[in-house]
Formats: sequence, C-alpha cells, structure tokens
Amino acid sequence: MSQCVPTASATIGPFFPERYVDANANDLTVLEGRPARGEIIEIQGRVTQHDGRPLHNVVLEIWQADANGIFNDPIDPRAAQADPNFYGWGRAATDRDGSFRFRTIKPGAYSMPDGLQRAPHINVVVLYSGLMRELQTVLYFADEAGNDRDAVLNGVQPAELRSRLIATKEAPARYRFDVRLRGEDETPFFDD
Amino acid sequence: MPPSDYTVAPRPEPTQPCRIIEGYAQTAWRNPSQPLQRRPLTWSELTGPRRHATRLSQLGADVAGYDTAQALGQLILVRLAVVDEDGAPVPGTMIEMWQANSAGRYVHPNDSDHAPIDPHFYGAARVLADDSGRIEIRTIKPGAYPVPDTGKWWRPPHIHFSVWGRVWLSRLVTQMYFPGEPLNAQDRIFNAVPDHDARERLIARALPPTEGPDNALVFEHRIVVRGRRATPTQP
Repeated sequence: MSQCVPTASATIGPFFPERYVDANANDLTVLEGRPARGEIIEIQGRVTQHDGRPLHNVVLEIWQADANGIFNDPIDPRAAQADPNFYGWGRAATDRDGSFRFRTIKPGAYSMPDGLQRAPHINVVVLYSGLMRELQTVLYFADEAGNDRDAVLNGVQPAELRSRLIATKEAPARYRFDVRLRGEDETPFFDD
Repeated sequence: MPPSDYTVAPRPEPTQPCRIIEGYAQTAWRNPSQPLQRRPLTWSELTGPRRHATRLSQLGADVAGYDTAQALGQLILVRLAVVDEDGAPVPGTMIEMWQANSAGRYVHPNDSDHAPIDPHFYGAARVLADDSGRIEIRTIKPGAYPVPDTGKWWRPPHIHFSVWGRVWLSRLVTQMYFPGEPLNAQDRIFNAVPDHDARERLIARALPPTEGPDNALVFEHRIVVRGRRATPTQP
C-alpha cells in the first residue's frame, strides 16, 4: 500500500468540550461495573508552566499495563491473559489549582523478547492550549527496585533528570507526580 | 529490529508544526526548553486501548439537529477517513470532534467572545469509526473568530479532531480547515506547519454540490495516524 505521512498535529486549544472529561474518566479501577485486579492506587499532581503558575484545564491521558504487566491489546503476546476488566486508558483535566488525579491499578513490570526490562510505569500525554504537539512523558514509582533496570528511564540524559519521572509516595497507595512543562525542574519529555 | 510487526517511526520534522509560534504567547510558556528524550519502543508505546465502547460514551454524529432544534448556519457533512501510514484504514478507532458555532463561538467557559451562543448547538461529537475507519458528521460550518490578547489575527473556520489510532503513539489531536478561506493565509496555527504539502493536507476537499444531498455541502477529509506494518505483506 502507499506510504502516507502522518497528519500534522495541532493544539487542543482552550475549548476542549467539558463533556469529554467524563466524571469517572480518571478512574481506571472499574470497567462496566466490574473491578480490575490488583492494587488500587491514587496519583495526584499539579501542572505548571514556565513561571510556576498552575494551569487550569490541562488534559492528561494515561496508558498502562495491568497488574501483571500485560496490555489489553492483541499486539502484546500475553494479551490473552490480560485482565478483561482493565481498559488501561484514562483521562483527567486539571482544576483551577492546576491539580489532577487518577485512580488506577499499580501496573506490573514486564520484559521484551529481546531482554529489555520495563519497571512498572504509566505513559502520560499532556494536551493543552499552546502545545502544538502532544507532550509525552512516563511516570515511575518511588518504591520499585526495578527502576534501575528500566530501558526507558535509564536512557534519560543527563542522568540527574531521571528522578523527575519518579512519583513520590505520599501515603500507602498514594503517589505524587508533578508536571513542569517548562522552566526550573522541567519534566523530561519524549520524542519518538 | 522492531519488537512488534506494527511499529511507529519518527515523523518527518517539517510536516509537523513548530512548537513555538510568534504571536501565540502561550507556546513560549508551555513547551519544554530542554531537548526531548529518545527511548526504545516496547509494548507500552506499541499497544493501545481497544474496545473503546466499554469505556467511552459516544455523543452522536449529528451535531446540527433538526426542525425547530436545528443549529443556525450552513449545513455540512464531514466525511472523515482515518488511515495509518500504510494507507490502511483504522477500523473502530474513537474520534472526538469539536468546533465553534456559525458565529465563531464555542460552548465553553473559556470562550468570552462577544459572538452569541446558539441554544441548538453544542458542537461536539464522539463517534466510533466503522470497519473502514470512516465516520460522517452532520454539522454546520463553523465561523471564524478573533484570537484574544494577541494583536490582530483570526482563527479561520476549522474543526478540531482527536483520534486514538491504533496504538498509544498514534494518538493525534489535529485541526481540519476549509478550502478557499481567505483567513487560512494569516492563521498562525495553520501556518506553523513548515511543509507546504503537509499544510495543504489539513484542508478538507469540497465535493461538487451535484454529488451531495440537496441541503448540505459535503467535505471529505483524511487523517493519517502514526503506525505501519514493520514488514510489508507479501503479495
């Protein structure tokens, strides 16, 4: 078939319909009334811009593996064992304080056929007014020993930036992950 | 060798918009100042949510309404096709659209423009594509509007689309423009894409009026999401 060039992206703008951020879009622990397997965790954070000002109505979307490190997509060779009650995707918007919140399942680790190791992590995409392209980042967990062997986290350069991708544990099953789009303590973002 | 037979490669740079745009101050406040990181791709980036209907409620593809509840403005049909980089349809992908009303006003608390709200127009549809990656939306042509606090520039008529695509890295938010609009030439967002052909591909194609229904103009548009088969299928 013919080769096609991906369509140019654009900003989500300031007018993303409020109806698209459903009340429970940020809760991944239940699918059609059935609970997902695994440890329920809460992730909170704040999104700020260059001058530290918190940003309202930032759209954050996440994609992650289930409690056993399996993605609910046939592309994953272990998909047949995926938790049928875990969709793996969620969306949140920041409030006036710049804060967002997800309720989800702690993802499992996995390894690739070629041996690459992935520690438990959550993919995060940030969409906002002023962002002509989506910003991709990854959230890791402070209490995971496998972070040291994660193929993505350990590719982040310079190495001192890696700690900015690690969510801190504030309480049992509660983590904090702040996102600084630009400026001091800027979050590392990925370009693929 | 890529780990999956479905993979995603970097986009040709000039076909994507500049991140910082003169006259659009927010771009300079919110885009990273540090170089972006590269990473190896694993299942995490090369899989994506499936069976969207189990999770996301749909908002009907008829945005314009009927009879006494019909939105003001010129009725249009937008026929959208979502394909990947092989040109293969992306069946069953979820698509969100949103737009201003015919006066250039959004139903959103952030929109403080003086243009009037139309009580019969919310301006949003969330629809699953069919088996050939297509949807048809019945709406009204959006109006242009001035961009606040930026000096003198206007957004030309445009429709926003958010598309899931096949895998996580194919997620795309984009805008569709209309052919022959004089305001396209001065729009800082449309013109942020350096490559001429990539820019032109953001403009929908108008079907000849003889080919559409009696009461609506038809616009066709194709969206290409990232992703392709790593090994071409043998004939």
